[in-house]
Amino acid sequence: MTVEECYEKMGGGYADVTSRLRTDERIKRFLLKVVDDASFNNLCENLAAHNIEEAFRAAHTLKGVCSNLSLTMLFHSASAITEVLRGKTEYSEEFEQYLERVKEDYIVTMECIKNLD
Amino acid sequence: MANKSTKSKKTILIVDDSELNRSLLSDMLFDDFNIIEAEDGTEAVMILQEHELEISLILLDIVMPKMDGFEVLAMMNKKGWINTIPVIMISAETGSAYIDRAYDLGAVDYISRPFDERTVKHRVMSNFMLALKQKEMADILSEQVYARERDSRLMVEILSHIVEFRNGESGMHILHVSTFTEMILKHLMLITDKYNLSKADIKVIVNASALHDIGKMSVPENILNKPGRLTQEEFEIMKCHAAEGAKLLADIPYRNNETLIRVGEQICRWHHERWDGRGYPDGLKEDEIPIGAQVVALADVYDALTSKRVYKPGFTHEKAVEMIQNGECGAFNPLILQCLDDIKDDLRSALHMESPSQNLDRGTRANVEDILKTSGGDVSNRTVRLLEHERMKFSFYASLSREVMFEYVNSPEMILLTDYSSEYLELPEKILNPAESEFGSRVFNRKDFDQLLTRVKNSTPESPIVEGKYLLNIRGEQKWNKVIVRALWSNDGEQPEFEGALGKCIDITEETEEIQQLEVLADRDQITNLFNARAAKRKISKKLAAQSEKLYALVFFDLDNLKKANDKHGHLFGNELIMAIADRMLSNTRSSDICARFGGDEFVIFMQYKDKHQIDRIFNCLTKDLNGFPVSVSMGIALSNECNGDYDKLLHMADQAAYSVKYGGKNSYKFFSDLTGSGGGLLEN
Repeated sequence: MTVEECYEKMGGGYADVTSRLRTDERIKRFLLKVVDDASFNNLCENLAAHNIEEAFRAAHTLKGVCSNLSLTMLFHSASAITEVLRGKTEYSEEFEQYLERVKEDYIVTMECIKNLD
Repeated sequence: MANKSTKSKKTILIVDDSELNRSLLSDMLFDDFNIIEAEDGTEAVMILQEHELEISLILLDIVMPKMDGFEVLAMMNKKGWINTIPVIMISAETGSAYIDRAYDLGAVDYISRPFDERTVKHRVMSNFMLALKQKEMADILSEQVYARERDSRLMVEILSHIVEFRNGESGMHILHVSTFTEMILKHLMLITDKYNLSKADIKVIVNASALHDIGKMSVPENILNKPGRLTQEEFEIMKCHAAEGAKLLADIPYRNNETLIRVGEQICRWHHERWDGRGYPDGLKEDEIPIGAQVVALADVYDALTSKRVYKPGFTHEKAVEMIQNGECGAFNPLILQCLDDIKDDLRSALHMESPSQNLDRGTRANVEDILKTSGGDVSNRTVRLLEHERMKFSFYASLSREVMFEYVNSPEMILLTDYSSEYLELPEKILNPAESEFGSRVFNRKDFDQLLTRVKNSTPESPIVEGKYLLNIRGEQKWNKVIVRALWSNDGEQPEFEGALGKCIDITEETEEIQQLEVLADRDQITNLFNARAAKRKISKKLAAQSEKLYALVFFDLDNLKKANDKHGHLFGNELIMAIADRMLSNTRSSDICARFGGDEFVIFMQYKDKHQIDRIFNCLTKDLNGFPVSVSMGIALSNECNGDYDKLLHMADQAAYSVKYGGKNSYKFFSDLTGSGGGLLEN
């Protein structure tokens, strides 16, 4: 799968990312780094442990990463949970549905990246 | 990819908690900059603490664990870093409250995510150039302000010097009057707010004070320089100089609004008025006289008293102050007299101990600093403060370490010693032409010094450290020292240049002596203090390897009846016998020979071989009775020409010969060459 096909499949903005980062080679290099990025795991773990402030930071970082690489679909779900967690200190049931969406999008995104040529 | 030298590139600090974001930025910028990364605020602050002067710009994320971007900015404000290191914020937070807060805290720009390569590069580059320009401008400004200040003082001094020259005065009068005036006025501001002079006002008065006597240009020279007392008529002419001076200034075309001219007029005209109204030319009294003129009047009187004149000696500072306080030299404002009393000690040191040019230069510098501080250019200050801090740290550690430390400066060539080192070596702190000096030719052996210096200069920036063991002469004593030197290479420009070196001498005399003693101990047999087998092997092998023409004999023997001696007379006697044998060995050989005990009752002598009589004599001495006990040895001798330089072979041959004696009746000696099967068979003795 080419970088462009990959972006199409995972709901990303290929035109946007190429205009900013210029080359497929660089985009691919950083996409592969997303796989190792710890922020998604941090988000899940901290939410499970009810460390809401840490969870917020992790969500915020994930959102930043997605925005830099124009992973639009995952960016939206990461943004949503970031805003829900912002300023909160107490755990709430409603966080889970937002996390579910992030998880779904994250899995799709990872699948696509792993299938890059 | 361009691979420019890392040294010519400027350094950027990227602070972001996401590794991916950092590497993305670093990927965009690493062509043009060196990159340092920090993963949170605390790490960033730590890096700044250490590399403050190297970092040219910071890219700073806002939301981070431990310490967020705002806290980093706050810390940078507290430490003053924010004034010289531009900070560009990076964040997905585009809310205007965030941006405003960052700007308020001193951030210069803002890049929002997602990053666009062109934007990032452009913002970084332009902010970097801006900061660079600002620094250049600050440097140029301070240079210019300094030059202007110096020039204007110089002009005033030239002018006043002309007056003094005509007066036949010392040339120091003007300087003394202005220093005195400045110190009194500054103190006056501390003790009263009656006059309310600003720093700038004081500066004008001090500058104008130099003009107080310009009216003397109009006084004929024969009156001005008359050695004796002036007549009443002459004095009247002399008195005109006050009003004349003021007129001179007032007549300068187009300039009568200048503060310096106005204040100068006041000082010229009224510096001979008196507090009680009995002065000239106008008989003003008390605060009718402008404060500047009042202070200059006192300064003028003080300097006249302490200076030597044709008609009077110079009084001491103390005497002059006393005369003034007693009202012997005119009437002055009590507040100014109080100032004189308060700061008389400072005045004495300022006027009579320092060189006036030093004083003047310092004054100019202080003025420039004032100007720059008020205009907000605190650039060089920070560097100075940092250097001061480093210097303090260094001198503290140096004083604690009690080691000789020195700095070598390449050009002009000199050695700088720390306080302690200079005291310890009894040498000055600054030593020019080091190779020829006491340091390079007495403390160090001249050859050693030259060699060490060459090694240092031949080092490289990558491995700049050189060390060696040198015998130094320290206060007349020879001391072994480990000398460690680190070369300093300039790191700007393509070709690194040798700038100098830092060094330290560690006294290892005791250590060396201890090791030597241990070596001696390890070489010796404990009972007899003869060499042991290991040491004998080493020493003998060395002699055999020397390939001299000399012929050596290795004499190997054991005591035939040690066991019997032990059984009959006890162990102590056995030991006594062994020690007696050792004594006999030593007293019958030369110090260059090698005597060893191989353990138990086996002994070896290695010596230069002359003839059989030599062996015979030794054998006879060894076998003398000891306190009535008959001493008996079986001795074998091998010569070095038979062993091919091989110690083990030589020892084996001697051993074989001794063995043959032992089983052939004991208490005799035999040469290996005389054994059956080796060409001989004759039994000696």
